[in-house]
Amino acid sequence: MSAEYMISVDHVKKSFGKLEVLKDISLHVREGEVVVIIGPSGSGKSTALRCMNGLETVSGGSVTFNGIPVTGESNINEVRREVGMVFQRFNLFPNMSVIRNLMLAPMKVRKISEEEARKRGMALLERVGLADKADARPSQLSGGQQQRVAIARALAMQPKALLFDEPTSALDPEMVHEVLDVMKDLARAGMTMVVVTHEMGFAREVADRVLFIDGGVILEEGSPEDVFSHPREERTKAFLASVL
Amino acid sequence: MTFDFGLIERALPLLLMGAAVTVEITAVSVAVGFFIGLFVGIARISQIRVLRILAAIYADCIRGTPLLVQIFLIYFALPMATGQQIEPFAAAVMACGINSGAYISEIFRAGIQSIDPGQMEAGRSLGLTWWQTMVYVILPQAVRNILPPLGNEFIAMLKDSSLVSVIGFEELTRRGQLIIAQTYGSFEIWLTVAALYLMMTLAISRVVGFLERRTK
Repeated sequence: MSAEYMISVDHVKKSFGKLEVLKDISLHVREGEVVVIIGPSGSGKSTALRCMNGLETVSGGSVTFNGIPVTGESNINEVRREVGMVFQRFNLFPNMSVIRNLMLAPMKVRKISEEEARKRGMALLERVGLADKADARPSQLSGGQQQRVAIARALAMQPKALLFDEPTSALDPEMVHEVLDVMKDLARAGMTMVVVTHEMGFAREVADRVLFIDGGVILEEGSPEDVFSHPREERTKAFLASVL
Repeated sequence: MTFDFGLIERALPLLLMGAAVTVEITAVSVAVGFFIGLFVGIARISQIRVLRILAAIYADCIRGTPLLVQIFLIYFALPMATGQQIEPFAAAVMACGINSGAYISEIFRAGIQSIDPGQMEAGRSLGLTWWQTMVYVILPQAVRNILPPLGNEFIAMLKDSSLVSVIGFEELTRRGQLIIAQTYGSFEIWLTVAALYLMMTLAISRVVGFLERRTK
């Protein structure tokens, strides 16, 4: 079990007060797999993602990463070193330059030298096409550029998997593709990814598996072809009709 | 009544020395208060419940009692409990520092809470600890936001430090009192003392305004 799957979510429940957001969610992600989670807003898809790196504590069930249970401070810190996260609102650190955003965690968590951190950081900025912005402040960048920096920042920790929480939802339409292009490159390079998104085109093109979550349960799961072209559930059909 | 400019001229060197002492006690008290306030402010939003409660009790007790009473407690009552006489300067700094710390803790708490929770999540998601994220990400942003209220606290402390004159500590107000006792020049001296306080507070708000513009 632990060897087979990198991320295992088993019978996870999550409530906020009386509101039950997740009702028995189970999903498993293999190394190198790209799993895309779709669903209407408020369906619990972001919450499910946030349970995978301990940003939300589960009310029931279990989450493990490479066999490590995502509970308790030290376990969670260990998992977070290996699992990067990209947020809807970028969450770059505005009090430091772009390159410093990339250097902070590798220096403080991985304890690598400043010189080494800068070298790796520059290589990653190169990869997302923003090497010339290394010394800029995040606030001087466009939304699309900020999100590419955020992806590079997550990569700077050399994670084994990346979680994306609606990475393009806060972007102006013309900036969406530049972020999706970076994500497609990552997927092609074999990165394990779990992506919550409304970008159906991306899901169709890149996903190995698509999950449709509604009302806190996984209603449908399969290849992009299965889910988009031959949905079984009425609610999936209705949702796809409204977004495609 | 005649206004004696000569008296002001003669008293000014002594009053300026008093003003220097006022600045000194204010600076030391606010520095002490800054560190108390930083840690108490962080304690107030900590994950640990006991810390939160202790910090809230401290802030409530200090802010709910007059500074004058706190000065009396430390200068007169504390030595009775410990059997150790306490120097006026030490008592003044202790009382003002502890007092200021309570107000500054509120400033820090509000400053930290004004930072987007996404910043803490981003730091934690990278594997940084709560404390590391606080030090490298949250506090540098919070400090920028709290510069104006911190400047106000400095000004308030500068004025409130006049209260330590009651334990015979010779800052600006006490100097004024002593000079009046010898010269009976109430009007001239109190006017001069007030003018000196005003000049100091105006100078501080200018400096704070300058710092604020520079960090923007």
